[in-house]
Amino acid sequence: MSQSEKEIILTGCLFSLLIFNQFWFESSLIFTIDILLLIGLFIHRSRQQLANEPADKHGETSKTSELTDIDDKLIHEVVFELQQFLHQEINIIENELGRTKTLVKEAVEGISSSFKNLQCLSEEQQVMIRELIKNSTTFDENDENATLENFVSQSNQTLGDFVSVIIDTSKKSLETMGFTDEMIEQFDSIFKLLAQVEGLASQTNLLALNAAIEAARAGDAGRGFAVVANEVRSLSVGSTELNEDIRNEIGNAKGIIAKLRNSVEQMASADMTSTLEAKDKMSDMMKHVETVNQHTYESVESLAAIAPKITEAVGIGVRSLQFEDLTRQSLDSLQENVLSIHEISDVLISFEQQKDLPVHQQLLSLKDKCQHVYFQTKQAENGRSVKQITMDEGEIELF
Amino acid sequence: MSVSCNISHENNQVVISINERFDFSLHQQFRDSYSQCLDQQLNYVLDLSETDYMDSSALGMILLLKDHVDLHASQLVIRKPSDTVNKILEIAQFHRLMTIEH
Repeated sequence: MSQSEKEIILTGCLFSLLIFNQFWFESSLIFTIDILLLIGLFIHRSRQQLANEPADKHGETSKTSELTDIDDKLIHEVVFELQQFLHQEINIIENELGRTKTLVKEAVEGISSSFKNLQCLSEEQQVMIRELIKNSTTFDENDENATLENFVSQSNQTLGDFVSVIIDTSKKSLETMGFTDEMIEQFDSIFKLLAQVEGLASQTNLLALNAAIEAARAGDAGRGFAVVANEVRSLSVGSTELNEDIRNEIGNAKGIIAKLRNSVEQMASADMTSTLEAKDKMSDMMKHVETVNQHTYESVESLAAIAPKITEAVGIGVRSLQFEDLTRQSLDSLQENVLSIHEISDVLISFEQQKDLPVHQQLLSLKDKCQHVYFQTKQAENGRSVKQITMDEGEIELF
Repeated sequence: MSVSCNISHENNQVVISINERFDFSLHQQFRDSYSQCLDQQLNYVLDLSETDYMDSSALGMILLLKDHVDLHASQLVIRKPSDTVNKILEIAQFHRLMTIEH
């Protein structure tokens, strides 16, 4: 097997490797390396040709020139194929790069606006929660003191006032009762006096009777006296009747006073059981309100703590979106790399366009171009690794 | 249901004890138990350890006793009220007016 045949097989192998690589890995960097390898192989081959040339000149010159012609034709063909292939691959890579750029841009815009929305919604939610808490503790918007807590404590105060009114009423009623009792004692002494008056009346009656008897015994002389005695007697009877009337009236008054005592007793005696229950309920209510207030306070605290956490999370999300920048930079670099390959491809086109020029010269210019592009790419790569940054270092910025 | 009054002259103490119910029906007896004590500087003790019910008239009676005690420059102490009775005394805020011994 001749040297050129070997190289054609090697070239074929590299081609298949190239195609395989395209499927295996979309990175154009590897692809670029393959291309460079291929080009390197060509350069190697041309050098060997150059080295072989002096040896050939000694002997079979005509045969060598024929072989050279075949080789040149073959090289032209290979270079043409290679150029076609490069052209197609570069087109695919450029398309894919453009598509990736668009996809990333659209996705990042979507995510970014979604984060912005999230932030707005979270702020709205905060406002609503604050409103809700304000409304749940206050039932009159114009009065800051109209809280449930104040209402309960005012009710408690009212209950206390109510109890003191009851006790005061009881005290006053009992005082009234004391006065009534004294009044009844007074009535009893009036009854005693009345009894004395009655005694006087009956004695007067008796005296009048005796006087009438004495008057009858005196005969005509006592007739006038008998009239007087009779009058005195009827006076005493009248006096007794009057006494009886007074006794009845006072008796009626005593009955009324008994009723008064009853009313006063009812006024004085209020059962405290219901009041006790109300007081217990009030204490429970106070405790409940306190618990609710405590709970509300804790909730407000937690909610207040959540708000900055959401902002921070959104911040992290937005900062993470800077991967778009980095990705775009990477894609831009890749495009530069593709341009480099383009340049090589352009040189390969010149093989086809300038068939008249010797292959040797063309290969040399290809070699120079390869070296030139190689250094350019290397410099660009070095520059790129310097500006490489991590995402954590970026500033938060909503866009 | 009765009022017992125990006056000891050695340490100037008047002990009034109420059994069972302390309500309006006792008002006469209750007033009589102290109304004759006209000495100054006495120590009045209202023993409620045997009392299990009290209505508002009892509170009124205690206030009248307090008036009498103040009038004669004396001291009033409520002794050993039961839980229920003590609650009522607390609602009436009597602990601000007089000493309550438990």
